[in-house]
Amino acid sequence: MKKIVKSFYDYLDERLHLEDLVHFMGKKYVPVHAHSIWYYFGGVSLFFFIVQVTTGILLLFYYKAGPDLAFESIQYIMSKVQFGWLIRSIHGWAANLFILSAVIHMFSVYFEKAYRKPRELTWISGMLMLFLGMGFGFSGYLLPWNELSFFATKVGSDIAGAVPIVGESMKILMRGGPDVTGATLSRLFGFHVALFPGIFTVVLGIHLLLIQRQGISEPMHFEHLEQKEKKTMPFFPNFLLRDLLLWLVMLNLLAILAVFFPAELGHKADAFGSAPAGIKPEWYFLFMFQSLKYLPAHIIFIEGEVLGILLFGAAFALWLIVPFWDRKSARGEKNRLITYLGIFAIMFIIVLTILGWVA
Amino acid sequence: MKNIIFFTFTFFLLNGFSFLNGKAPESSDQCFVCHEQLGGVADLFKKDIHFQKGISCAGCHGGDSKTDDMDKAMSKSAGFLGIPKGDDISLRCANCHAKKEMMQKYGSHLPTNQLELLKASVHGKLSTTGKEKIVQCITCHNAHGIVSVKSPASPVYPLNIPNTCGKCHSNAKFMQTYNPSLAVDQVAKYRTSVHGMLNAKGDPKPAECASCHGSHGIRATADTKSQVYALNIPETCSKCHSDAEYMAGYKIPTDQYAKYAISVHGKALLEKHDVGAPACNSCHGNHGATPPGVESISKVCGSCHALNADLFSSSPHKQAFDKEKLPECETCHSNHAIMPATKAMLGVSKEAVCSKCHTESKSTKGYFVAQKMRSYVDSLDASEALALKLINEAEQKGMEISETKFKLRDAHQAKLEARTMVHSFNEEKFKEVVVGKGLAVTTASISEAKEAVDNYFFRRYGLMVSVLIISVLSFALYLYIKQIEKKQASKIS
Repeated sequence: MKKIVKSFYDYLDERLHLEDLVHFMGKKYVPVHAHSIWYYFGGVSLFFFIVQVTTGILLLFYYKAGPDLAFESIQYIMSKVQFGWLIRSIHGWAANLFILSAVIHMFSVYFEKAYRKPRELTWISGMLMLFLGMGFGFSGYLLPWNELSFFATKVGSDIAGAVPIVGESMKILMRGGPDVTGATLSRLFGFHVALFPGIFTVVLGIHLLLIQRQGISEPMHFEHLEQKEKKTMPFFPNFLLRDLLLWLVMLNLLAILAVFFPAELGHKADAFGSAPAGIKPEWYFLFMFQSLKYLPAHIIFIEGEVLGILLFGAAFALWLIVPFWDRKSARGEKNRLITYLGIFAIMFIIVLTILGWVA
Repeated sequence: MKNIIFFTFTFFLLNGFSFLNGKAPESSDQCFVCHEQLGGVADLFKKDIHFQKGISCAGCHGGDSKTDDMDKAMSKSAGFLGIPKGDDISLRCANCHAKKEMMQKYGSHLPTNQLELLKASVHGKLSTTGKEKIVQCITCHNAHGIVSVKSPASPVYPLNIPNTCGKCHSNAKFMQTYNPSLAVDQVAKYRTSVHGMLNAKGDPKPAECASCHGSHGIRATADTKSQVYALNIPETCSKCHSDAEYMAGYKIPTDQYAKYAISVHGKALLEKHDVGAPACNSCHGNHGATPPGVESISKVCGSCHALNADLFSSSPHKQAFDKEKLPECETCHSNHAIMPATKAMLGVSKEAVCSKCHTESKSTKGYFVAQKMRSYVDSLDASEALALKLINEAEQKGMEISETKFKLRDAHQAKLEARTMVHSFNEEKFKEVVVGKGLAVTTASISEAKEAVDNYFFRRYGLMVSVLIISVLSFALYLYIKQIEKKQASKIS
């Protein structure tokens, strides 16, 4: 067996010069410290993305976009297609877990200030992928064309429509018209399976390339340590195998969730029906949705909802460009303000999500 | 001088007659004194109840009836109004008839809401000319010869009402100007009804137009407040037909309403407010109300239950029922207390209607056919219940089974179809529906639901196996990593 593997490797090496790559990877090291665990969430996010692409392609074999066929095709996938239920349930769960692991990854980078020079672009590309992930979630949510997804899309696009100046155009762009119709379904389907994956793949490529090129960020206190004092582990094979181990654990988790909590379908969307009671967006939009609900109708001269959207927009913009205004971290100094802001953001998200969940 | 003597003579003569006639205003009503000489309306007025109650012409026409000076009596200053026209007529009547104290003054206990009711009625709302409403008080009660409604001479006395209403309602030309789609044969039909025939014989008790439609407050039949609006008909009929005392002389039962109210038709109409459900008039007719005869029952029921009636007519039961002079539908379903047709009616048990005629001792073919037909329905019911149970179980387990659930509706449809097909009393045709359609659906549903339940367990066992494999793989990988790291550590040391 070993002989066969070696001869195959030699065959490839002769043509692709794999030895160079192995040599390059062999020189890569991952810092080992108290917070090393957070390094794995980037890999976990990648794993969920791969699962999404795989299950998404499988679903595409049977899914038919269109108000007359979408719901029925999902029904067919869930009841007739061999393991269709499993593929759809895994797709649904992996989508949620992808956002969760990406958020954890983003906060770990934030608290470690790993975005500091020279990794500003890595941070920006990561944030873009997180936003795209949310876009995937929003666009994919409508595809089953059921009551819940129909009205959630309506509410979600209405909120986007409240943005001053560009809101209405954004809403039309999202809906493909003034209302949520079959045109919205076709449009969001296009976003979900073509536009977003295309952009995401490019950004992911840049993100991974930057990581390979710049190496994994060291914690700030490493800068004050001697080379000998820095604990590290080889990226290949140690870190990669550990990542693989975690992927297997996640695969198990996905299988358990998909079997015990399979994706539901509900009732087919009816544009003339009434919205289901207590309609809520996906959990990762819930904190924003709940915050907007708490705002009064008018704050001074501006509508509460509009002000809320503007504030969230400003907060996300500031968060995105944190490497450029956090000059202290860039200089290698501790910046407590950033840490406190991060803790506040996490507390805010958790509390508002819980409030939204129980409301 | 001659004139004075003649006038004085006439005056005393007239007053003398008036005195003899009763309470009529004597010398005080100068209008009457003069108009009586002219004849016409004054002659009619003599018979009028108002005249007899001492109400003068001025009561309606205004003016001063005490003076014999015509100019003074009929002057505007004396309040002379002349002949009232259009809607003024009813208003003039209401001057007294809408005032309780005024009516009591003349010893009348009549209601005082007639004008109010008339205004809200179809007669008081509609107009053919745009100037006045269709009906005024005098249209039905006359103008100068008004007599008590209890008097046989009154146009609104029960025996006269059909003709009074018919004056307009049987006049096609007049009705065209007001409602071209409204039939004008009501009186003609009424005369063929049991009510109409008794009425023609001089019995004032049977229903006439006002008994069902009301008198002053008549509303269009489509008006929900109308006494003959579909939902109100049973109650309207029951006013007389459920009154044992009132119906005593007619020798017919008075429990029709009570029976109807608990029937499938009554519940649909009275409880579910389904105006399409039959009321009394649907089977008995309305203006020509008559109990359907033995031979016409299936035609009456068949006007709604057309398929059932057709199947029955071509079944062997038709001849048998005709021979025995049995009322077709009524024999099995009864008349007023028609209950939902459940499977209990079918078969050879005590509750089954088939066993009324088909007994085992007679060993008729019908006995065995009924027994078999019931067994098919029982099988379908049991099979449907099992399919539902399994579908529910699969649903509770989170399995997608909506298509099977939807398909199972066909079994219910087959049961409905069987309810009709039973009227063919043909075992093969019945079997084709119950077994061929119904049982085929339930059997397929059971199989699909079972598969879904099995699939649920398969998923769990499959999960167990896959979790085990992945866990073993993970553990092996963990050991491999440890091994590598151990080697690396030993290399460094």
